[in-house]
Order: sequence, then C-alpha cells, then structure tokens
Amino acid sequence: MTRLLLMAICLLWLPARADQVELTLPNQLVARAEFREGHPGKPAVVLMHGFLQTHDFPVIHRLTEHLGGAGYTVLAPTLTLGISARRQSLACEALHTHTQEDAIRELDAWMKWLKARRVQSVILIGHSFGSMQALAYTAEMHNPMVKKLIGISIIEGRPIGRNGKEVLPARGNGKSDGIVTQAFSFCQKFRASPSTLESYLAWTPRRILNEVDRSRLPITFIMGDRDDRLGPHWIAQLQKTRAKVRIIPGANHFMDGEYEFDLLDRVSEELKGL
Amino acid sequence: MKPLSIARLSFLFVLTTSLLVAGLGLYFWLEIERTRAEIVDNERAAASQEGREALATVVQRIRNSAANIAEWEETRQQLYFPDYYALWRDDRIKDAGFMNGGLRAVALYDRHGEVLNHAVGEDPMPMALPGHPPFTLYRQGQELGVLYHFLPIHADPAGKTLLGYLGLKFDLARELRHKHTYRFADLSRVRVNLKDNAVTDLDKLGQAIEFAPASNIELQKFQSLFQSTMLRLSFVVLATLFIASFLLSFLVVRPLRRLSARIDTFRDHDHAGNTPLPASLPLPVLELENLRRSFDEYHARLSELHDNLERSNRSFYDQARQDALTGVHNRRAFEEDWAARDEGGGLGQVALLLFDCDHFKAINDTYGHNVGDAVIHAIAQCLQSALRADDRLYRLGGDEFATLLVDTDAHIAETVAERCLEHILAHDFRQYGMSEPVTVSIGLALSDKEKLCLGELQKRADLAMYTAKRPGNRKIIAYSQDMGDISALVGNREITAVFQAIQDPGAIEIHYQKVARLPSLTPEYSEALTRVRDGDSLLPPGAIFSIVQARNLDAEFDHAVLRAVANDLAAGRLPPDMGVSINISAPGIVHTKVLEAALELVRAHQGRKIVVEITETALITQIETASAHILRLREAGALVALDDFGSGYSSLRYLASMPVNLVKFDISMIHMLESGDDRQRRMIREIAGLVLGAGYEMVAEGVESQTLLDLVIELGFTHAQGYFLGRPALPEAAGSGNDAPVSPGS
Repeated sequence: MTRLLLMAICLLWLPARADQVELTLPNQLVARAEFREGHPGKPAVVLMHGFLQTHDFPVIHRLTEHLGGAGYTVLAPTLTLGISARRQSLACEALHTHTQEDAIRELDAWMKWLKARRVQSVILIGHSFGSMQALAYTAEMHNPMVKKLIGISIIEGRPIGRNGKEVLPARGNGKSDGIVTQAFSFCQKFRASPSTLESYLAWTPRRILNEVDRSRLPITFIMGDRDDRLGPHWIAQLQKTRAKVRIIPGANHFMDGEYEFDLLDRVSEELKGL
Repeated sequence: MKPLSIARLSFLFVLTTSLLVAGLGLYFWLEIERTRAEIVDNERAAASQEGREALATVVQRIRNSAANIAEWEETRQQLYFPDYYALWRDDRIKDAGFMNGGLRAVALYDRHGEVLNHAVGEDPMPMALPGHPPFTLYRQGQELGVLYHFLPIHADPAGKTLLGYLGLKFDLARELRHKHTYRFADLSRVRVNLKDNAVTDLDKLGQAIEFAPASNIELQKFQSLFQSTMLRLSFVVLATLFIASFLLSFLVVRPLRRLSARIDTFRDHDHAGNTPLPASLPLPVLELENLRRSFDEYHARLSELHDNLERSNRSFYDQARQDALTGVHNRRAFEEDWAARDEGGGLGQVALLLFDCDHFKAINDTYGHNVGDAVIHAIAQCLQSALRADDRLYRLGGDEFATLLVDTDAHIAETVAERCLEHILAHDFRQYGMSEPVTVSIGLALSDKEKLCLGELQKRADLAMYTAKRPGNRKIIAYSQDMGDISALVGNREITAVFQAIQDPGAIEIHYQKVARLPSLTPEYSEALTRVRDGDSLLPPGAIFSIVQARNLDAEFDHAVLRAVANDLAAGRLPPDMGVSINISAPGIVHTKVLEAALELVRAHQGRKIVVEITETALITQIETASAHILRLREAGALVALDDFGSGYSSLRYLASMPVNLVKFDISMIHMLESGDDRQRRMIREIAGLVLGAGYEMVAEGVESQTLLDLVIELGFTHAQGYFLGRPALPEAAGSGNDAPVSPGS
C-alpha cells in the first residue's frame, strides 16, 4: 500500500518549475510547496509555516532564500488546510475542517517526496505553530530522515481545563451548529469543526515540553525575548527541557526587521554542524 | 384709399397688438416647448447612456463577483468537503464580504449539476443547473426580476479538472442601485425586455433593458412656472389691452368721434342754415379739448361771419331786387321770381297785370324830375295797397309796373285791377303841385288752360296795356284774340329782331338822309336813320323805338347804332367829306358806354363832320351829366344838335343854356310854316329868330316842298332836310354826288 502511494506521488509530482512544486495528496487535494534544490552533500531543510499561513510568509520566505542560497536543498510546503492548491493564508473565520493529523500526513507526504528525490537527511525547521507541528511530526512519525529540528518562536499551545479537557460543543450535523467558534492561536474567532479544534488543542504546553524531552533528535529553539505571543514563562520552560534554546534579544514573534539576520545567523550556525 | 374711422383704427391697433402679443406668447411657448422637448430628449439619451454605463458596471460586478467567489479557495474547499456547505453558503460567504450589492444568493453544484448536499437556502436557488454553464438566466420577479449567473469551477487554472459549478443570484434592481446614483435615469421606470427564464448573454444585457429618464423636477417646475407666468402675463396683457382700449376709447376715440360728429353737425347745420351748434362737453384730452375749443371758436366766428355775410347777401339781394325809388320789387325780381315758375312748364292759372302811367313823360317834362318821382312813388303805394297780401308789385322800368296774380281767374284779376285803378284815382296828386289827374292804363293777360310762358303772357299784357292807352278805351283791358293787328307791331319776332340788332350791329341797316347847307343846298352831312333787318323786311323806326323804350334798351340800342355807323365809315360806304349825324336817346347820352363809343367814332374820323343829335328830354332830366358828356363830345370835335325842338314840354329857359351847336326844329313846327295859321307861323318865325339870335345854327326837318324850302331859307335856317331834298337811302346812294348841290325833288 505504501509502495503504491509513493508511486502515485511520484507520478503526480510535477516539477513544473524550479521553485514551485505541487503534490497531489491521497484525498485528491493538491499541495503546493516551494522547492530549492541544493548540494547533494548537504541535508535538505523542510520549512513549516505558521498557523493558517503559507510558505510565502516572510520568515519562511527569508529562510528559504537564505538557506537555498547557502546550498541547502529547501522545501517549504504550504499545508492545504483542506484547500486544494492553496495559495492564500486561510482566514480565521473560514470553516476549518483540517486537523493536526492532516498536517502531519501532508508533511509526511512531502518527506516521502524528498526521499523519492534521494534526499536522505532532513532538517525540520518550523515557525510558530509550524514548530509545534514539526515536533508533532517527529513524535508521531519517527522518520529517520529527520536529523534535527529547529523551532523558531514555537508556541506554547493551549492549556487544558481543570478536568483535563477543553470544553467543546458537540459535533454537529454539518450545519452551523456543527462548527465551533473559539479563540485559538492568534484567531479571536476560530471557526472549526470540533475534531479540528480538538486535534490542535491536544497539543498542550505540557505535551510539547514532554515531547521535546522525549525526542531523541537534536532540537534547538530560537526565541525572541520580545515575543508577545507567548506566555511569560514559556521560554523558561523550554530552557528547562533538553532542547537548546537560543534567545535573540529584542526579537519578536516574527523575527522581522533587523532581527531577521540574527535569525538567519542562528539557523546557519545550527546547520553548520550537520 | 378710403380713410378709416378712428374707431376702426383703434380696433385694428388693439387687434394688431393682441395678435402681436399672442404671437409672441405662442412663439415663446413653442420655443419653451421645443427646448423642453430637447431637454427631455437629452435626458432620455442621458438616462439611456447612464443606464448603459450602470448596466456595464453591473455586468462587470457580476462577473467580478462570480470570478472572485469562483476563485476563492474556500469555495473550492466546499467542493472538496461540502460537510459545512450550508454554513458556508449562509454565513461564511456573507462574512467574507461577498454578499454585497444585488447578490442575493449563492449556490454550489457538483460536477453533475446538483446542488451540494441538496441544501436549500433561504433564498432558493435552482436545485439543479437549468443549463450548461457558463450562462445567465433571467427570471421575472419583484421590481426588475433576478439574474442567475452560472459558471464552472475548476481545480486547476488551466480548467482541465472540473470541480463543480457556482450559481449566483442577483437582484437586478438592487444591483443597479448598488453604488450608483442616477441623475437622469428613473429605475422605477426601467423596462426589461426579456421573457421569464430567458437565457441571455451578459454582454447583450444592455440591449434588453430600457432606461427611462427620471422626472426632471426642475424642468417641471420651470415649465409650471413658465405656464403660470404666461397665463399671468397673458392676463396682465389682456387686462392692459382692455384698459388701454378703454382709455383709448375714452380719451381718443370717443372724443374724436364726438368731435367728428360735431363737425358733421356743423356741416349739416351749415347746409341747412346757420343755426348754432348745441353745447358740447369738455373733452378729457388737453389737445383734443384745445381742438374742440378752437373749433367751437372758429365755428362761432364763422357763424358770425356767416350771419354777417347772410345779412349782407340778403341786403344785397333785397337791394338788387328792390326798386330804389318806390321800394317795390324791380324787374330783376320780377324775372327771377317767375323764372322758376316759367321753367316748370308754364305759369298755370295766373294773371299778369301791367300798369303804365299815362303821359308820364309829359308830366316829368312839365313838372320836373322830383314831381315825376313822387308820382311814380305814389302810384306804387296805391298799387301796393290795392293788391292782395301775397301779391307782389314789380316796377319794370320808368312808369311801368306789373304784378302776377297766382291762382286767379279773369274775374278776380279784373277786380284787383279795378281796385288798383280806384286807389290811384283816389290819390290826391295835387299835393305834388300838379293840376292834372294821373291815370294808369292796365293790361291784363291770363294764363289758364293755355299754360302760357311768361314771355307770351307779358306780350299779351303789353298788347292789352297799349290798347288801354288808346284814346277812348277803358283803362283796364284784358287781352283778347282780336288784338292781332297790334300784335303784329310789336310781335315777338320784331322784339327778337331788335334784341338781335343790339347784340349784332350787322343786323342794323343805316339809311342816310342828306342834310343840306342853305341856301346853297350843298349836302354837308347825312342823318343816320336806323332800320332793323327782320328777315326780308325792315322794321320801321316806330316799331323799333316802341320796343326799345318799352324795355329801356335805349342806351344799348344807341351803342349798337354807333357801332353800325362806325362799320359803315370804316368800310368807306360814305364819302370822305360827308359828315354823319347820329341820334342818341336821352338815356344814351348819359350812358358812359355810349359816350365812349361816340368819342371813339369822332376820334377815328377827325376831319369828318360828326353831329350828335339829342332830344331836349335828355337835357331836362339829367342835365348835368348830359351837359358834361356833350362838352366832351364837342371838345373831341363833334357837333351837337338838339333834335325835335318844339315837340316836347321843355321850357324856353333851357334854350339859352343848352350846350349844342345846332337846333333842329321838329317837323311839326316846320309844317306849321306852311299849314298853320298866322299866329303859329309868327310864333315859329319868332322862335327861329330867337334861336338864330342866340347864335345857334338851325336845321329844318320835313322840308318836302319848294315852298317850305323857300320859307326856311327866308327864316334863316342854316340847314334843311326832307324828302324834297332827299329821301333816306343806303350809304352808297347817299354818298353819291356829294359835291353837287342837292337836287330838290329827287
């Protein structure tokens, strides 16, 4: 079955252009990604964008350019989020039916796509929510191609209620009463199916910290000490894990402005050793 | 061109002004209507243009909306995962901001054309595609109806992988209103020329929709304002014209018509007689009032002048028709009064009475001019008192009077005549120093059944009156047919001949009788004796002078004789050394015209002996004028002879003062020398001696025998004339043998 899937992926891969590649997923959705092919001797870098974003998000785009320029093979996929060939960031108010598991499967599809291109080593780099999804991928898939994980401004997740579960509406029947509107991540009104929301809410801060400690991959977190999207103790909690935490003083959640160079330098430094 | 009345002119003026105003109003009305129609056309075109532009925008917006939704990733998401399609259709797409403008509903269809999940929305869309997209469907409904636009959605930009279809439902009216402000078009009047469920092409949608212009409030206000203004203006103009007409009529037309009527009244009054105009009211216009006053003043002065002229005319008329001596009507009045009656075809039943004083000449000669005038005046008074109230008395001349009695028969006429005669006989003429009674002869002629003309009636009365004058006859004689012999004497034909002779001296035939110097019997001059040619015969002197004297034609006839003699002398019918003697009547010698003709004759024939013979009557009646004229004749070289000496009533005291050269003894006195008694012969001899002694030359008339010739030679007569010495003859015979002594008895 897996073999057939890979064959299908290979058949459907359309390296139409040098940088933009598409991948037809098993659910017939088309996934898009930016791809830079580097030196064969260097590991490939897979960049995971943030929540509801695309690979055109500035942090991802700068890293793609930088790392591609440095000779790394770079793949920056855009998660479909249930939308075929998605090119735009998805609104918070959209009807979100994609799940964490869907994201892990798409990333895995791209890993297989790299593997089919004879990529043997992959460095997973995620930004914000993408860092958490990259961590979730390594935790769920244990793909040996992944040699390292770099999490930039990794979110802390949502804390669970007192009873250990998020209070969510019951599953609906496909009408409006089946959609949950909750404040999630940076969305004040995140409209999603309960399964979607539950899949994301499952990744609580504690689970993230635990998965970091449980992972055997080298993990580095690059954080800005002015990141206002994070909880006040999140960086400290990260620092308490086995992961290396590198702080860029003055940088915010998006590492933009003058701090983008600090970010690129920190990423380059983390990649030199591989 | 016939002049128009002021009323008609005023009416034409008002009518013309009204038509002009109406024409201008109509012109403005049509201009405004034309402009309004132009504005409406422009607005219709602008509305159409505006509608087409709006429709183009709508079509573009439909396409854009359709494209945006179709390209929206969340739309494709629904085609993949339609679990929440209803939520997406009802909420999400609204939240995403697509449901704006006229977009009322959205539907997604699967590749088979079935709506996703078979979900029916609040605003229902077709559950299955009614055709094969892309296409646009029109359905009638509220307002302008709705447009359904369907298009396919593909998974890839190349359109190779069909995912499904998108359906959009647009409210056409709302779409047209969306973000559109219409200035010209009225959306409530848009007309869609599409049938229900018609499939149309968005690009051709503009051809199927008609846009009507919106009501132009400003234009309507302007039109309403213009109409009301025109109505008010028309009312004002009509009122102004009415007032102007009234004022024109009151101030101009009526005064002018009153003035014209006043002038007409003046003209009628002027024709009817100069009666004063009725008083008129003052006119309201100063100039017209001045004109009226001037006219009235002019009329007053003209009336006064007319009155004066009328009085003068009346006075002149009366004077011209009145005899100055007696105060009764004169001959002119007689002729004028009866001319109309005569011209009317006859006098009708009238009687003409002719009165003639008997022996008036003798009375006048005997008692003088004043007594004669008094006698005439007294006769006139007597006759006037005897006539009836309406009878008019005319003095025809001298001592002759006449009256016409209208509607009178013979008996009444004779009664009136007798009363006249009685009044005269009863009058005491001795108060004038007369010792003899004065009588009148009355001739009466009647025009009854014969309807005679005045001339004929007058001739008959003449004949009757002459008959009455005959000794032994009644003093009142009515004309009768047995007066034929007398009628021949002074018949109408003879009178006509005399008048023709006066008019044409060629009709006068002069017979010359030689007057010889005594005792040598040398012919010295010839006396011109007048005959009047009447056809083949000649009128004798008696007939001529009775007509001339009866009608006071003495001066005119004398003038004609002078012209006839002048013609004979000019024609050389008399020998150059033969003198001419011409008889001039008493009225003629005092007449200037006769004097001038005589002087001209004398001056034209200087060296020829010209003798003017006058009667003593002329010297007695108007001696001063006659003496002056005789003196002028004598100064011119003429000799003056006193004719018929001894036949009249003149006194011998005049003899000494008579300014004459010759005294011509009347034939009766000469004949007395032969046939008279001794006393008469002695008287003649003494008178002849007296005259001769006074220094006058004497001429003896009627010398018809040798005895008489001897006697007059013996008495010292210087000239002799008579049949014994020569009969009157035509000029050629008279002129022959002038140098030889007259042969007695020839």
